[in-house]
Amino acid sequence: MDATKRQVLAAAAVVLVTAVAAFVAAGSGGAGGQAVDRRQAVEITLPANVSDEAVLGRPVALALAADRLYIADALDCAVKAFSKDGRFLGSLGRKGLGPGELSFPSGVAAFDEGVAVADKLNFRIQVFDARGTVCGGFKVPFAPDRVFALGGRKLLVTANPSGRGRGERLLHAFDDGGRQLWDALEADISSDPVLDAFRNMILVCPGEDGDVYVVYRSGRRTILHFSGSGILTGQIAVDERHGFKSLDMPSRRGVVTLTGFCWAAARDRGTFYLSAPEAVDGRDLGPGRTASVVDGQGRLRSVVELPCPVHRFLVADGRMFAIDDEGLLRIFEVGR
Amino acid sequence: MKKLAILALAGMVLLAVGVSYAAAPALNNQTDCNTNYTKCREFTLNLDAPWYKVMVLLTACDIAFGKCMLGL
Repeated sequence: MDATKRQVLAAAAVVLVTAVAAFVAAGSGGAGGQAVDRRQAVEITLPANVSDEAVLGRPVALALAADRLYIADALDCAVKAFSKDGRFLGSLGRKGLGPGELSFPSGVAAFDEGVAVADKLNFRIQVFDARGTVCGGFKVPFAPDRVFALGGRKLLVTANPSGRGRGERLLHAFDDGGRQLWDALEADISSDPVLDAFRNMILVCPGEDGDVYVVYRSGRRTILHFSGSGILTGQIAVDERHGFKSLDMPSRRGVVTLTGFCWAAARDRGTFYLSAPEAVDGRDLGPGRTASVVDGQGRLRSVVELPCPVHRFLVADGRMFAIDDEGLLRIFEVGR
Repeated sequence: MKKLAILALAGMVLLAVGVSYAAAPALNNQTDCNTNYTKCREFTLNLDAPWYKVMVLLTACDIAFGKCMLGL
């Protein structure tokens, strides 16, 4: 065999191997038929926080300001502040009913004027300045769940439906004086309050222009988009490769299959990070170890693999601030 | 005759239960029941536990609410 024939055969072999590899990759790509880029998150080592106050009891919500991270700790009835590299800086609030005191803080939002806290069991929103002094707040007619800053001195407060009647809304916008601006997203209520609780579990990701994105934790594969005035302006169908995980759940109407879609969600510069629930203990669904990176049109761009299951997270500038299974703060580089 | 006796007995039992249940809410403060129910659900929903466990705990909240309203 001469050199030319050998070169042609070698080139043909390379083409064949490439084609086979592409076929295999496409086959493993799921419903979309395209391979998804998978990448490992890189964990950032946090400084040792020796203070007992720095320990998180039950961290339930996170918020980012320009230079710090706030975490609402429902067990310690406080909001704990950390630097963006995880150094504990101090805490706001303490247990109680009076001004500056909190009972089950379940949400936190950072905005220009300070830090707004959803003071759930006191049925109010309290606003603290950066030094921890109360500088505002207002009562709300429901147990507030999460709070988000929408810009322009507007706050979005979410509610879990009580299940005692129709017409309850999940989203409520207020100005910083407590005047209700709008409410939206009527709860899906039936005769089964347990199932209703799952059907109405939502995750909220604020947009850049005072708008809001809502992700249902189960049952729907679409992200709802609300304008800054609370009008539903669009729905984003999420790529089928970010799939449902199902769970058979007994209910008043027999066994109902609950389709888990998202355990936690965040949005950063037009990109969504959706964490799918994963099977735990055989029949249950718990937090996942991956985050699907989805663009504004719902296309799955990549999957970030995390070293541990994460319950809640925020993403900013390619960095994920997450709460793990042990209730610890973890920070990962996830890229952009 | 036997059937009539059984029906009468069943009726008496139902009446007794009905009367005691109707009187029971007066013994309990409905506002307290509602507050405790709200707390129970909100604690559970913020547990971030796996969903089957959440379902069991929410069911327990419902049962506790029913018992509270009936004064049991």
